[in-house]
Amino acid sequence: MNIRCAKPEDLMNMQHCNLLCLPENYQMKYYFYHGLSWPQLSYVAEDEKGNIVGYVLAKMEEDNEDLKHGHITSLAVKRSHRRLGLAQKLMDQASEAMVECFDAKYVSLHVRKSNRAALNLYKNSLKFETVEIEPKYYADGEDAYSMRRDLSEFAKKLKNRTDEKSEE
Amino acid sequence: MPSSNPLPPKENALFKRILRCYEQKQYKNGLKFAKQILSNPKYTEHGETLAMKGLTLNCLGRKEEAYEYVRRGLRNDLRSHVCWHVYGLLQRSDKKYDEAIKCYRNALKWEKDNMQILRDLSLLQIQMRDLEGYRDTRYQLLMLRPTQRASWIGYAMSFHLLEDYKNALNILETFLDQQQKGNNYDYEHSELLLYQNLVIQESGDLKEALKHLESSQDQIVDKLTLKENLGELNLKLKNFDKAAKHYEELIQRNPENTIYYNKLIDAKNLAKPEDIVNFYLECSEKFARAMPPRRLPLNYAVGEQFKVLVDKYMRKALSKGVPPLFVDLRSLYTDKSKVETIENLMLQYADALKKVGKYSEAEVNNGPKEPASALLWVYYYLAQHHDYLNQTEKAVNYIDAAIEHTPTLIELFVTKGRIYKHAGDPQEAYKWLDEAQALDTADRYINSKCAKYMLRANRVKEAEDTCAKFTREGVSAMENLNEMQCMWFETECALAYQRLGKYGEALKKCHETDRHFSEIIEDQFDFHTYCMRKMTLRSYVGLLRLEDVLRGHPFYFKAAKCAIEVYLHLFDEPLKDESAEQELNTGESFWNVH
Repeated sequence: MNIRCAKPEDLMNMQHCNLLCLPENYQMKYYFYHGLSWPQLSYVAEDEKGNIVGYVLAKMEEDNEDLKHGHITSLAVKRSHRRLGLAQKLMDQASEAMVECFDAKYVSLHVRKSNRAALNLYKNSLKFETVEIEPKYYADGEDAYSMRRDLSEFAKKLKNRTDEKSEE
Repeated sequence: MPSSNPLPPKENALFKRILRCYEQKQYKNGLKFAKQILSNPKYTEHGETLAMKGLTLNCLGRKEEAYEYVRRGLRNDLRSHVCWHVYGLLQRSDKKYDEAIKCYRNALKWEKDNMQILRDLSLLQIQMRDLEGYRDTRYQLLMLRPTQRASWIGYAMSFHLLEDYKNALNILETFLDQQQKGNNYDYEHSELLLYQNLVIQESGDLKEALKHLESSQDQIVDKLTLKENLGELNLKLKNFDKAAKHYEELIQRNPENTIYYNKLIDAKNLAKPEDIVNFYLECSEKFARAMPPRRLPLNYAVGEQFKVLVDKYMRKALSKGVPPLFVDLRSLYTDKSKVETIENLMLQYADALKKVGKYSEAEVNNGPKEPASALLWVYYYLAQHHDYLNQTEKAVNYIDAAIEHTPTLIELFVTKGRIYKHAGDPQEAYKWLDEAQALDTADRYINSKCAKYMLRANRVKEAEDTCAKFTREGVSAMENLNEMQCMWFETECALAYQRLGKYGEALKKCHETDRHFSEIIEDQFDFHTYCMRKMTLRSYVGLLRLEDVLRGHPFYFKAAKCAIEVYLHLFDEPLKDESAEQELNTGESFWNVH
């Protein structure tokens, strides 16, 4: 398994992975929009043959009223590749890039209230906090938890890295 | 050149309102104003008004009338750039790009410095990959608007795409010289520098590229791309120590990237398998949580060392309960002796776990017993192992043993279905997937796999009903899957119809997939301007290159192959009875529309 930043040629295969795994789907143009607006933020996990087995599709929210922050549009790992820790690793790479390239202060996402596995990942492994419940967020009427993860840890890590560099 | 039939002030004001209505998509109002001009007996044949009326009608979906009016307008005023521009826009909306380009060119004959027409022309040229035409148009745009950033970037890029690196780089340099240095987070400037570096690299001057990158380091915010390029350039220029340092930092950053390890091995000039294994073992101490330093040495180790390493690797996964262990190790199966080692170890585990709850009977007295689930995962592994080796009976025995051990684990049913699929029994296969799906109806992955197996068993209706559990309510599943460009479904569906002899239906599905590819090529349009503004030029070039070979994607190949087979079959054995012809017509009408 290999985790790397997504390239334009990965986007179609990410769409495929999304259609297999998740009920929220998007047309190719939306994937292009992500890949061509914030090429650093989306990551893929691939197997030895180069098949995409997981991905994170991410973007920046660029409205000025709020702190600069990233947003996870979609995250999926094929059921055949669960329990390898891929989701967490994908998320960490995307979050680091948000801080490094766009000075993001936090990252946000939505998750279905009933999706206990995802909720566990976000809450316990990735330290996301629930900000609010958005009623009927999903097309089928289900509520969403709106969650946030503070990224100042990443900012600190990046700063240490640059400081070390300048001491050399 | 102004119209040959200028309007007096009152009508001219109305005409301007038509233009504004068009821009603001108030088409009904636009038509009203057009009518006001055209009902004046003096201006019933006013060319530009007729043309605009046509363009407006087109936006309301009245294509035939639109062509009629636009052409009539043009006939009445052949020297109006507006009429030609409008005719071009109409053809463009109809996807007749070559025709549209001709119209824009005619429009420019009469109004050579019209920015809007030049921009529209340049978009079509890049979309159609008329690179020389694009370069010439970008030159004119630069001359007209030398202060605009996009003018410079577009012109430079046209040379880059023509592989004229020298000119591309000259223009970029001239442009960058005029720029002021931005602040720390000047993302756009950073992207521009990385683009410039890409062009230098593609020109072949790697030394210059390295120099450029090193001197602009501080202004580049995308440190990952910076490092990856520094590593790559140093490696290619044989500055091995420097390259190694960059790759070590990259691994620090993302220890899950297998490419970095391979490059570091190159930089360290490690060639002997035992050296590579040792390299990975050192890495695994540094990055305890990372997968590659534990998994990759298995590719290089042989004999006793392989046995020791794979033994440790598998035990850990089995104790923890990592279902993808087999898919993780599968790529080792090209080596027969490794397959044998793995099989012997797994058999040993099964035996010992049953007898003493340990992976080896010799270890009976060391430490606590393994979790009960370890045996389950051993059975699960052995089932997949034998399935891969086409030993169906053994595979079924092990998967049954696993199911008996834990009757509620979905993965087991999926594997049982896969064993039957591989053995050539799609009917039995689908039943097991249906079982799996029933155990977790909230998981779309299982749902998708189940639908796929149903299609392999030629059960199209059941497959559609299954998919419907996850598609939007209110529309049919087929419709929603088509809207979402779900190509795996369409292709599997086409193949099922082909097997069932429903050729019209099969072709319909193949053409749905073909149409997605046309849509995706169409999708480029907006990004020609967008990326120039956002400065994400490297990704933009990546997009252009991807679109150039888009139909090389396996999804397209599969659908095209099916369609070709169906067409050949119909040529060899034309349909005879009427009902069959009827059926075929559905497919043919798609062909024509297309």
